[in-house]
Amino acid sequence: MMGKRLLSMLVASTALIAAHAEAKTVIHVMHQGDPGWVATYGEVAKRFEAANPDVDIELIYAPHDAYNEKFSAAVMSKQLPDVMELDAPFLANYVWSGYLQPIKPLIDQDILDDMTESNIAQGTYPVDKDLYAVGLTDSSVVLYGNRKYLEAIGARIPKSVDDAWTREEFEGYLEKLSKLEGVKWPIDTFRGYGIKTEWITYAYGPILQSAGCDLIDRRSWKSVGTLDSDPCVDALTMMQTWVKNGWVVPQSSGTNQFFAEGHPAALAFGGHWFYAEAAASMKDDIVVMPLPKFGPKGASPNGTWIWGITTASEHPDIAGKFVSFMLKDKQFRDYAKEDSAYPGLKSFAADSPLYAAGGPMAVAFEQASKTAVARPPHPAYPMITSAFMGAVDEIFNRGDVKAALTAAAEKIDEDIEENDGYPPFDEQQ
Amino acid sequence: MSDLAISTLRTEVKRERSAFGSLRMVQTACIFIIALVVVSPLFMLVIASLKDDRFQILADMGSFRAFWVSNPTLANFAEVGNLSGELAFGRYLLNSLFILATTVGAGLIVNSMAGFVLAWGSLRGRALILSLVIALYVIPQESIIMPLVIMVSRAGMTDTFAVQIVPWVASPLYIFLFHQFFAQLPKELFEAAEMDGASVFRIYRSIFLPLSLPALATVSILMGIETWNQYLWPILVTQTDYARPIAVAIATFFGQDSIFWDRAMAASVLMMIPILALYLAFQRWFVSSFVGSAVKG
Repeated sequence: MMGKRLLSMLVASTALIAAHAEAKTVIHVMHQGDPGWVATYGEVAKRFEAANPDVDIELIYAPHDAYNEKFSAAVMSKQLPDVMELDAPFLANYVWSGYLQPIKPLIDQDILDDMTESNIAQGTYPVDKDLYAVGLTDSSVVLYGNRKYLEAIGARIPKSVDDAWTREEFEGYLEKLSKLEGVKWPIDTFRGYGIKTEWITYAYGPILQSAGCDLIDRRSWKSVGTLDSDPCVDALTMMQTWVKNGWVVPQSSGTNQFFAEGHPAALAFGGHWFYAEAAASMKDDIVVMPLPKFGPKGASPNGTWIWGITTASEHPDIAGKFVSFMLKDKQFRDYAKEDSAYPGLKSFAADSPLYAAGGPMAVAFEQASKTAVARPPHPAYPMITSAFMGAVDEIFNRGDVKAALTAAAEKIDEDIEENDGYPPFDEQQ
Repeated sequence: MSDLAISTLRTEVKRERSAFGSLRMVQTACIFIIALVVVSPLFMLVIASLKDDRFQILADMGSFRAFWVSNPTLANFAEVGNLSGELAFGRYLLNSLFILATTVGAGLIVNSMAGFVLAWGSLRGRALILSLVIALYVIPQESIIMPLVIMVSRAGMTDTFAVQIVPWVASPLYIFLFHQFFAQLPKELFEAAEMDGASVFRIYRSIFLPLSLPALATVSILMGIETWNQYLWPILVTQTDYARPIAVAIATFFGQDSIFWDRAMAASVLMMIPILALYLAFQRWFVSSFVGSAVKG
């Protein structure tokens, strides 16, 4: 008798728990990030759940270096999350493949009105000009300098994007720095990031654009004739010469030579995120400058990890509500500020003294409106970046510049041809 | 023997001893240098794990300061030893230990049984099966990983411990290793037991398995290292903290913008201990297995 009662109580409570679980809407959110960001996303999810008791946020973490593999596995096993963090240059590929849905109807209007031009650009699909992703942040690369070394060679220190160093000035300073006592390498271009990350395309692509060429022609979407054109060959020959001269920190020496013991590297061609680490170590000796002009115009990179809502989501409205909640969350913004995050929302920029006028990274924010060039927004981007990175790696290892760039350009064009031009991109001129 | 002859002999012996002594010194110096090269990264790892400033760790790399810590602290270990919270590294470590123990335990049973049957069983076409097993070994794991992901997700196995254990229990390499070991044991052992009326399973369990300690140790260590270092597979098939191993958790420290060297080093030290303990526990048999294989060809 007692046993039967216990059994019925167990069945009843199980049914109750099951009913409760069913009542909740589960939103899967896939993301990457370091321990600080992982913890921050966890806290945001808890606050959202507290404000929306009928929703469960399930966070799916994938390490930065293996994010694409995790995403591919999710696609193949039909387990796409509702919300996903994505690297901006891959957006065109994801939209073209049908993984993302337009985000404007799902996000609070005040967030949309708050986005910077660069932020809108990184989340926009060029075919329908619609917005597919949104973020709190953006990114840029600047030229960091060691004040003592620069003063020792009498270098001019640019104060704004408009008076950035020219190529002649820059190469002249590299040569002088190479002869200065205490300097082991005139510049760190962060070869230590390797070819598994986006770094090479992200940071070196603007050197090509500044020199007057590009990774691909953005009207005909053909790479041969553009990536292997004379300005690109000249720009990469210039970089190869720096490497041959021993001016660049080698890949094997890591990514800390600018502020390591003895400050062996005099300049650093580094991301905005590098500032926190470098400034903590170098204090007042750090100088932040705009990227040099390698040709007729200045160019700098943009784009970072932003948030999109997948077509697989059964509750896109709730997914959008979560993204809006996160981007407005005060603690989330405070953590981003602590991490010296580069603003992608105007309200966040106003609240970030690091990037405000007169702030140490003001020149980085100035680049966003004056020289930022997005990476090619094309579905073939995964091939564009992988082919270009391979070519640069070969060039830095003393390969023939023209041959390496031609091979990369042909590989890109082949991929586009194999996909019939990725319609409707084939119609865009 | 004349005094002169004895004196010449002594001089000769002394010269030989001196030459032998010099050779020993060179050998010892070489061994010392090789040991230093092998041990120094581990030593650097342990030293770095005791430093509390990640920027300092980075700045010290590439200089001899990487091998010295002035104010050692266990704070990094305290941070990565937590069993709950957003990044419960203690939990990940326990997950890894469970996956390791279960995979190796089940792997020893399954692979040794298969190896035994292929060596001594009455199965028809054993030679062909063995050839197919060896052929399977040349297929790289990466080439079958995506179809496998689809299979396990359709079977509803994602985000479980089982998905990290079951696909890797049976291995062509270990079946082949066991087969080779069992095949070298004397035929008389099998025949005597058979005449006494023992079943094939009984012969395997009571006679051949107790004799195969070197093979068991070798497979334990190789399988243990392989399981412990699994990285891509758990990333693809796990979603939450529930069954994630520590190798994936450590990757969290290598973020998009910065690397948390302090905690990465402490977590790496923790990750290193179990596999080092496994090797130390089995090394005697492991070495003898390799020596035995070399002698027997």
